[in-house]
Amino acid sequence: MSEIITNLKEDLYNGKVDEVAAATQKALDEGISAGEILNQGLIAGMDVVGRDFKSGELFIPEVILCARAMHAGLEVLRPLLIETGNDSPGKVVIGTVAGDMHDIGKNLVSMMLEGAGFEIIDLGTDVQPEQFVEIVRAEGADLVGMSALLTTTMQSMKRTIDALSEAGLRDRVRVLVGGAPVTANFAEQIGADAYAADAAAAVDTARSLIEAQQT
Amino acid sequence: MTDEVKTQKPLIQYLSKNQVEMIHEGSLDLLEKTGIEVDHEAGLKVLAEAGAKVDFQEKRVRIPPGLVVRCLETVPDRFTLAARNPERDCPLVPGGTPFSRNGGGADFTIDLHTGKFRPMLYADVSSYFKLMDALDGISFIAPVFGHDMPVVGRDILMLREAFANTDKPIHLRAFSGETLKYMFEMAVIVAGSKEALKERPIVSLLEAPISPLKFLDVTVDALWLCGEYGIPLDVCVMPIAGGTGPMTMAGNVQLLNTEFLAGVVISQLAHPGAPLQYAPRPMAMDMRTGFSLAGSVELGMMAAAGAQMAHFYNVPVSLHGPWTDSMTHDGQSTFERMYMTIMAALAGANVLVGAGMMQQSLVISYEQLIIDDEINRTAFRAVQGFEIDEERLGANVISKVGPGGNFVAEEHTLKYLRGERYVPSLLYRDSREAWEASGSKTFVARAKDRALSILEEHQPNPLPEDISKELDKHVAKVLQLLEK
Repeated sequence: MSEIITNLKEDLYNGKVDEVAAATQKALDEGISAGEILNQGLIAGMDVVGRDFKSGELFIPEVILCARAMHAGLEVLRPLLIETGNDSPGKVVIGTVAGDMHDIGKNLVSMMLEGAGFEIIDLGTDVQPEQFVEIVRAEGADLVGMSALLTTTMQSMKRTIDALSEAGLRDRVRVLVGGAPVTANFAEQIGADAYAADAAAAVDTARSLIEAQQT
Repeated sequence: MTDEVKTQKPLIQYLSKNQVEMIHEGSLDLLEKTGIEVDHEAGLKVLAEAGAKVDFQEKRVRIPPGLVVRCLETVPDRFTLAARNPERDCPLVPGGTPFSRNGGGADFTIDLHTGKFRPMLYADVSSYFKLMDALDGISFIAPVFGHDMPVVGRDILMLREAFANTDKPIHLRAFSGETLKYMFEMAVIVAGSKEALKERPIVSLLEAPISPLKFLDVTVDALWLCGEYGIPLDVCVMPIAGGTGPMTMAGNVQLLNTEFLAGVVISQLAHPGAPLQYAPRPMAMDMRTGFSLAGSVELGMMAAAGAQMAHFYNVPVSLHGPWTDSMTHDGQSTFERMYMTIMAALAGANVLVGAGMMQQSLVISYEQLIIDDEINRTAFRAVQGFEIDEERLGANVISKVGPGGNFVAEEHTLKYLRGERYVPSLLYRDSREAWEASGSKTFVARAKDRALSILEEHQPNPLPEDISKELDKHVAKVLQLLEK
């Protein structure tokens, strides 16, 4: 593997935002394809971050910094990726449900998913079921991610899933839920496709959901 | 020999006098230069009229130090949480006797009979209130809800159950400004009149800004409604270090203190003299998982520093006592809640919060309530100190017994036999043989037995018939209104 890519991965691991952007540009200038930089450099780099995050070696603030670095590289590649139609694993519409303002966890999941190459549409907090439906329809999402931190707002997750069914969109997407009071049991009860306990698990789960959808 | 009979009240103090002032000045500075966000039209106007710099577009308020200091002057230095039964009143006085309450709002429980983790149900609510009514280590009651209770009006129904199952003071949780008003009306019915309620508030409330520095409209509404009805309010400030507050303990304390002062200003401008309690609930974000921790020792340290700030402002202070990240009432739970409670008590908390609560604020259990009753009473005992006078110092009896003697049957011993020592309800102190003979029961098993026996035998003091009827009428009316 080229030295540039190796160094890029290291800078990404160390959260060096400007260096990663610069290295990405340099790699392009040297004739390396956008797809290769993305997969061998940025995504592969974030995979290492994800692994060390899971094992407790890296902490959340560090992961966020790495994700920012990844994002910086991604921005450099974006126009080329659109051109060449590089396939990201999927498009994710994510938000914290209606009535709920908590977003730290949701933001972390967004970043980790982006780090894994997913295209993210983050609707923010207090997202009504209709908003989810609207964006899923307009953007043709593959995955819907919902977060809630309050037991009182958890119910909005069910309302959103019902709204997707009513709009005839339920079969087109996989629904992934999470948040402190949410459990795998609850996810099953409300008809979600999966539950993830933390951001690292969310990435693995998102990947398997997409794979399952394709087979 | 001096006149003082009691030993000093032990007090944990992390902050020096200078450091307390530094934090206070720091808060004044932040309020003046950074300010807060207040999502409440009338609130913004009131603040502007009082001299704050208000940006109505951004909903941003910058509060001058003079205004903060003025508002601090009108906050009462004490108040009493009144009970339907006056013997169970909880007078909250800075430096005074501590009280306690359960952690409120848990949605899950550990089934007392099967040990299974399951959602709380409507049927559990009255049992929990009944159990807490019987325990001396739980001074007043906070709401618990059932999953199968209707979402609209659950706080009203909770309060109805509470009034029926306990005559201790009741601490509310409201889901909207509208239901809060209805709950105050229920309290008026039980108290007899609006004036009677203001004189002896049998309910209290907790409200929290969103850290950092954000006051929602419901929060301002609640602050004002409490002021109007004379209902004591906990200004609960709970930044999560590293998440919604600075990573450093000092920074977290700086932020929560700032938010408390902002709450004071909003409250006192509308109702000077409204009773407030400082409720620092500093938390910490676990940097590996993003979870907000309930049991880290740093919480106790930050809370103790918060208590010092409360003492500086001369207002009562409510701290988290029993709390844990554990899923169940196990060794970790007992360990975490013990140091949290002792630190809070020794820091001078007026209220120890959290009995019964596990897995942060998600789960409540009967056994845990029984265990926390013991932990709280132990903490109350630790804070009490002991009496020290000439007779108790015992020079005479020591001299009489002399070298190598014993004190077992001395008059002095008999005189002080009962009352010197806390009597636990749950701790095992007998022999191994006796323990095995009675079933080798563990601490938690004994807690379970005690819970079962109390639930079987205890009869709470019922509401008078006429008040009961009037309450039911009101609840029916209110639920209909809410349905619309």
